[in-house]
Amino acid sequence: MARKTPVLKVTNLKKAFGPVVIVDGFSLEVAAGEAIALTGRNGAGKSTVLRCLVGADRADEGTVEVNGTRVSETNPDIRRDVATVIDDIDFFPDLSVVEHLDLLARAHGIPDADAAVDEVLHEVQLVPQSGQLPSTLSSGQLRRLALATAFIRPRKLLVLDEPEQRLDTEGVEWLADRLVEERRRGLAIVMASHDPTLVQKVATRTIRLGDRAEVLADE
Amino acid sequence: MSKKSRKLIRSTPVAGEAEAEVEVEAVVPAAPERTFFFLPDAPPLEVDEHELHGLMKLWRHGRATRSIGQVLQDSYVMLFSVVMIGAMVVSVVLRAQGNMAGCSTDACASGRLLVPTAMVLACFAVALGVARLFGPVLASAAEGFWLMDAPISRRRLLRGRLVLPLLLSFLVAGLGTALVGALSGLAWAQVLAWSCAAALGSAGLVSLAASEQTRERVVVVKVLQAVFAAAALAVLLVVVSVAAGWLPTTFVAVAEPATWLFAGVAAAGLIGMVVLLQLTVARLEEIRRARLVSGGSLVAGMQGAMFALDFGLIRDILVERRMAEKGHVKPTRGRGLGLAALVWRDVERLKRQPSAFLGLGMSLFVPYAVDALRMSQLNPFISGLALVAGLVPFLGSMRVLSRTGGLARTFPFKTAQLRTATMAVPAMLALVWGLAATPAFIGIASTGADRSLISGLSVALVTSLAGLMGAVRWVTAKKVDYQTPMMATSSGALPPGLIFNLFRGLDMVVLITAPLILQLPAYWSLVIGLIVFWALRGSFNMADLQAEQEQAKRELAEAKEGRGEKQKIPRPGR
Repeated sequence: MARKTPVLKVTNLKKAFGPVVIVDGFSLEVAAGEAIALTGRNGAGKSTVLRCLVGADRADEGTVEVNGTRVSETNPDIRRDVATVIDDIDFFPDLSVVEHLDLLARAHGIPDADAAVDEVLHEVQLVPQSGQLPSTLSSGQLRRLALATAFIRPRKLLVLDEPEQRLDTEGVEWLADRLVEERRRGLAIVMASHDPTLVQKVATRTIRLGDRAEVLADE
Repeated sequence: MSKKSRKLIRSTPVAGEAEAEVEVEAVVPAAPERTFFFLPDAPPLEVDEHELHGLMKLWRHGRATRSIGQVLQDSYVMLFSVVMIGAMVVSVVLRAQGNMAGCSTDACASGRLLVPTAMVLACFAVALGVARLFGPVLASAAEGFWLMDAPISRRRLLRGRLVLPLLLSFLVAGLGTALVGALSGLAWAQVLAWSCAAALGSAGLVSLAASEQTRERVVVVKVLQAVFAAAALAVLLVVVSVAAGWLPTTFVAVAEPATWLFAGVAAAGLIGMVVLLQLTVARLEEIRRARLVSGGSLVAGMQGAMFALDFGLIRDILVERRMAEKGHVKPTRGRGLGLAALVWRDVERLKRQPSAFLGLGMSLFVPYAVDALRMSQLNPFISGLALVAGLVPFLGSMRVLSRTGGLARTFPFKTAQLRTATMAVPAMLALVWGLAATPAFIGIASTGADRSLISGLSVALVTSLAGLMGAVRWVTAKKVDYQTPMMATSSGALPPGLIFNLFRGLDMVVLITAPLILQLPAYWSLVIGLIVFWALRGSFNMADLQAEQEQAKRELAEAKEGRGEKQKIPRPGR
């Protein structure tokens, strides 16, 4: 069977902080409709790999390509195709929840931004907080807003770093269902997670990072 | 163990302490298998807050690795430089005072009296604002957690905390006003009266803010702050009006009574400070922990930013705090698609920050005041700096999109496009500012600038461009990178970017206005300004260029290796 063209292609990725090599020789191909879960203990390099994938950190060696384009954080094509929720998300302190989503939807050229914002706002259950400023949101609500910023915009690849963090049980269940739906619609997903239920439900492949990257399960 | 700590630990026991100790000793050996035990029923001992404070001080000193003497010894070159520069500044001030005192025109006479007066009023407004922001009585989060729950007297623990804000307001206001007074050409007796009024008045107002803090009220402080700020602005307006000849000059006649008026203000400030301090100290017992700790945590955050000389981060902390206090806004719908949506959102933001317009409006007085003070040669530079301060609040979007990559990554635009879009509204404001400031650059005072309309307009527009670029540089400057090789200095190893952080914003204003100060044609400044604009909008991304260079090197090396392998293929035998 002919393999699908990869949305994400990582070849021999190496990243070290000083003398400590975090990840070396990491390669990965993710096609549309695939969901990859990176697991491993704290410090195994999951977040570092994800940061390299989105261009937030520069790899020491190896290449990362999205749809054949070399990843650079400042490349508008990459910014258009890759939606991320990693640890460096920031918010405008003077814009409310709904204004953040409205701005992102319009910036991405969504014609009916109001309807899209309403839908996502209901989905992440932030309707009562729509007028609140980010500094007054709880950590769980901030995580929901971060996820909403990824879901409001067009995307071909979704990169998530421990998306279940700070979500309540219902929230994790909603997230799992949403990611499964996204995957079925043809989105490529790469996520790091410590939640076995989420991983089991969403991932088509699980890679455990540690001393050596290891493919644990393949759907 | 030091003598002092022995003394603190072996403090004289109060009645009942000996019995309590005996009880504790008796309980512990009786149940050695227990992993915990309940507190004995003995009544708690009375705490001496003075000794507790001394103990905390001792612990803090115990963690210091160097004494003050050693620190001074290590940084003697810097101290020597500070003394040298200070001596030069004092010399320049003395000479300027002599020169300005010799000027007898109407504009000089009004400026001499009114500019220091505006400074005194501004000092009052700033003292109240800063006092309200921090407390002025504050406690660290650790003190709030560990000490405020303990059965100790808050009044006795906190009364010493009032000294530092009072001293700071006294010194900063006094020295600042003395400098402005001397530069304006006031006689030394008048400089003393104005400085004492600013110093003691500010200290008195900080006492008032402390008194209001104990009652958890802010209305009086806010109203007074607004009144003093408006009064300072009105006085500056009078300076400009007199210099422009719009108001008659009668200020020379009131110089003598004004000196007595300011001496009276100083006396009132002193009396107010003493009375309000007594009231505040009496009420410190009732002050809530949350009200104390919020100022302490703000100071801790700002201290961290100060170590990196990151003033942008300090502003971020203040903005975040203000927004947390605000909490909620009435959402507005966006307009347009793509970059237009970003620009429109900035337009909407203008409605949410009326106070920013006050700052921009105040910066507009600077070119007029500088011209009235006969310093038209330096006007583009000084006014450019004032405009930097006025425009920074309008560059909030650019700041957030520059400080971390996370939010910028969510927008499908190049960095240069994002920066240009977020610069659009501030650029319009700078343009309006330039047009409104044009008369000052043409020359309003008889002794000020004397330019044609075109020349004045071009200087005003170059100044507004310099202010805009300075503000953009200020908000987009990168944080200090502690991973780069350090620079050896007399104060120890420092990252190279640390010192340059002090001059960010200022550097662009100097660069763009330098040709004007050197009396070169304005188009030189315009050309430099356009180059600066091209660089600051992110067209020149050093990190990307370096990455491309590294990538090219790597590919070249791989290609060479490939060629090398080809050469190793043995030729077929004959």
